[in-house]
Amino acid sequence: MIFDRPTSSELIKAVMDFLDTKIKDELPPHLAFKLRITNNVLGMVQREIDQGEQLSEEVIKVMSNIIKSDDLTTKELSNLIKNGDLDLSDEELKNLLILLSKNKIAVDNPNYSTYKKLIK
Amino acid sequence: MQEELASSLSKKLLEVGIEGKVSNLEPLTGGASKEIWKFEVSNAKQTTKMILRRGSGIEGPLAIKTADEARIQKEVIKAGAPVPIILAVSKNEEELGDSYIMHFVEGETIARKILRDKEYKKALPLLAYQCGEAIAKVHNVDIDNFSFLPKKPAEDQLEDLYATYQSFEQPSPVFEYAYLWLKEQDFSNFQESLVHGDFRLGNIIVNGEGLQSIIDWELAHIGNPLQDLGWVCGNSWRFGKNDKVVGGFGELEDLLEGYNSISKLKVNKEMVKCWQVFGTFRWGVICLIQAYAHLNRTINSIEKAAIGRRVSETEIDIVDLLFLGGE
Repeated sequence: MIFDRPTSSELIKAVMDFLDTKIKDELPPHLAFKLRITNNVLGMVQREIDQGEQLSEEVIKVMSNIIKSDDLTTKELSNLIKNGDLDLSDEELKNLLILLSKNKIAVDNPNYSTYKKLIK
Repeated sequence: MQEELASSLSKKLLEVGIEGKVSNLEPLTGGASKEIWKFEVSNAKQTTKMILRRGSGIEGPLAIKTADEARIQKEVIKAGAPVPIILAVSKNEEELGDSYIMHFVEGETIARKILRDKEYKKALPLLAYQCGEAIAKVHNVDIDNFSFLPKKPAEDQLEDLYATYQSFEQPSPVFEYAYLWLKEQDFSNFQESLVHGDFRLGNIIVNGEGLQSIIDWELAHIGNPLQDLGWVCGNSWRFGKNDKVVGGFGELEDLLEGYNSISKLKVNKEMVKCWQVFGTFRWGVICLIQAYAHLNRTINSIEKAAIGRRVSETEIDIVDLLFLGGE
């Protein structure tokens, strides 16, 4: 990357802090609610920038045990399940779906109760 | 704009014999697709708090007409179910648009407040039983009165949801798996009922004594009553309190005890499980619908954009229920 610091992740953090410390208390309740959502969204973007690549690679690596072709994508995995090409009782498939779900929620909402329960 | 709305409101109320000055119009955070206004009507005798609930014209494909929600509330209240009293209904072509006016019911709807604030602490242990009783009263009403509602058997809904999911061309291995699993389940042992369709915290009004009203009937239909029970037991609606199976506040035993004290259909725990998976898949597809309404520019909204990333919440709940016991 040719870009200087602050990194994209650091810039987003700065925006989040600004909204949280300077804007939040100025807003009427129905807009304060929207601001909370806005901050959640920025948090997702920040986590995807910081951890997205590693979380994806982890899943793709395990996919290669199940998908025989080079098409290591969630689209191909979906097609294989849909077309009956995979044994639905296969533990390896189940574990892949668990890993995929965990790694997605790790970016989208790491505070989600089921995720917290499963990583304990 | 508020003055215009106030004038339309007083005109509409006058039609049904309610005279008074409309004031203190205040927008409330409601469902994602409806406008909700709280306001007061004062005349020489009294001041009454009321709510206007109005369609935006851009509701999702699953929603019924706003005015039809009022028709349902008028019926179920006769069966003893707790709902706000309807005062006036407006059709789409009228000045107020597709909407209705009802009594304001004191209490809280915001889930996190109900689960956290001291005020509701005594109400929470009672709530599951009360919810069971109340929704059983809804399910017991004669469905002949609801010919205007769509019939949605589980099998048809499942096919519709799957087709909707596919239309967005965003493949999910977990949804594909869930769909195949759900197709194998037996959803048939029931009697057709009025189903609320979105029965959970957020759509009920609660005060210190417990349940006051069931609101937000936009997903109502005729179908399997177990859908409402599975829905309120989905982790999506526990708001972080996942040890309390019923809505983040109660135990399944209490919900079913309340339910079975009223309902013609007697329900046990095992019957609810596949409806939890069904409900979680359904919520996942609803998240997709909302997100793509934003992405396709039908509506530009931060809430709808954000909800697209809640699909992964339903995926992890599905794998938890199917592979890890869901406990």
